[in-house]
Amino acid sequence: MSNQAWILETRGLTKRLGGKNVVNEVNLAIGKGEIYGFLGPNGAGKTTTIRMLLGLAKPTKGSVHLFGRDIRKERIPILRKVGSLVEYPSYYGHLTAKENLEVVRRLLGVPRSRIDDVLSVVRLTKEADRAVKGYSLGMKQRLGIATALLGQPELLVLDEPTNGLDPAGIQEIRELIKSLPATQGVTILISSHLLSEVEQMATRVGIIDKGNLIYQDGIRMLRERAKSRIRFGVSEPEAAWRLLLSHGYEAAWDRHQLTVERADDRTVAAIVTQLVRQNHQVYRVEEETASLERIFLEMTGTEGSL
Amino acid sequence: MMLRLLSVELLKIRKKLLWLLVVIGPLGVVSLQAVNFGLRYDYLSKLYADGLWSGLILNVSNLALSALFIGLAIVASMSAGIEHQTNAWKMTLALPVSKGQVFGAKFLLNVLLLFVSSSLLVPFTLALGWALGFDGPIPIAELLRTAYYPLLAAMPFVAVQCGLSVHLANQALPMTIGIVGMIAAMFGSWFPDWVPWKWPSLLNASHEPLLSVGLGLVLGAVVFLVGMTVFARKDVT
Repeated sequence: MSNQAWILETRGLTKRLGGKNVVNEVNLAIGKGEIYGFLGPNGAGKTTTIRMLLGLAKPTKGSVHLFGRDIRKERIPILRKVGSLVEYPSYYGHLTAKENLEVVRRLLGVPRSRIDDVLSVVRLTKEADRAVKGYSLGMKQRLGIATALLGQPELLVLDEPTNGLDPAGIQEIRELIKSLPATQGVTILISSHLLSEVEQMATRVGIIDKGNLIYQDGIRMLRERAKSRIRFGVSEPEAAWRLLLSHGYEAAWDRHQLTVERADDRTVAAIVTQLVRQNHQVYRVEEETASLERIFLEMTGTEGSL
Repeated sequence: MMLRLLSVELLKIRKKLLWLLVVIGPLGVVSLQAVNFGLRYDYLSKLYADGLWSGLILNVSNLALSALFIGLAIVASMSAGIEHQTNAWKMTLALPVSKGQVFGAKFLLNVLLLFVSSSLLVPFTLALGWALGFDGPIPIAELLRTAYYPLLAAMPFVAVQCGLSVHLANQALPMTIGIVGMIAAMFGSWFPDWVPWKWPSLLNASHEPLLSVGLGLVLGAVVFLVGMTVFARKDVT
């Protein structure tokens, strides 16, 4: 595909810090109007990647193209079309929300009316004249998003915008972000260490682990991996397992539970009939759906890390 | 763009103690001289019998030198601290502005604040002189030289402190260097002419204060350019 098709494209993006590639040969591609979920456990290289996307850090190797232009050559014209919130929000605590926005507004050179516009988008109009240091974390995050929206960006880069928020705050930010492409017409890159957080809003996801991009595709493909399996509770599971194997079913026995992968209704019925015929007592037949979160953990291999 | 950046810098220090400091510096210097002259009026008025005003200005300038050195370190530290507090650098530098200009605006803000401070020395000194009942012609040129020349000659230090305070989030090191600088400047007259710590005292072999000012401005510009280049190249964390 050509350069122009993607709003954001990186090629072989690498950042070497302290003798280690914290970002290694990452090829991101984000299309217009997408909500791109950029996922990875803490320390996987998400923020470092985002810093390079915004020209805050220089790549050791590779390139970053936004709107088909090289960030290293045309940083200022590119940043004019990008709004960002990197990690925890930056603000001047002694200033009010309005004054904070005025600081950025003067640098962007956008009309004064934009301040009221973005304040109403994030519903901070009533609190706009209070010093920001008295804000709750959720309000600070909303102010951060308002700041990012100020220049009417075509691309919005939000790094962990719900980090440290309570469930109500997370819900609020999520609703806000979901509404943005429709109301503001932007493409969004949102990073998170929780798949569940972006799964409801992202159209595409990229998963980064230990600096490597290990998955990048539509969220639907990821969901298809969330295959379900049927768990059987029987009186003699080991004997039942042998029986099922001998009949050609994909059964598995791990000394705790007997499971069968991807069984449709008819197969389940047949299995139950077989078991009952052989005088097994069937206590339970349960469906177990692997959550996206588990797939994510399996992919990033941090399941046992706790 | 530079003006816009400077207006933003001024907006950011609104409601900050920085402004208070700008006034307290010269006020403190002149107040201490008020004590000095108040306590030793008879002795000092005899000592400076042929030029009371010049005597006052000389005393003010000695004390103002130390105040200038510590003041430029504090101003640099506080103005950079506004950004370090919530790491606002990453917000500002992700905006369509040149990194060099962001650094330049910080430096200009420091110079502006110190300029205001230095300017205040003039009315404060005049007020003290009148309060002490000095008459005779006021050596206004001498007074203005005392107010502005040391600041211009101290430009390398303004640039060094601005650079250090901007580069380092922990302000302990810049402040230590600032304090050491102040102490070094107190003994400035002992140094050979080429030592920058001597320049703000305006003393040199050729008895030409403008030489000290010129050297300060040139080295200040060099240090500023180095600081700006490093800042523009550095990754923002």
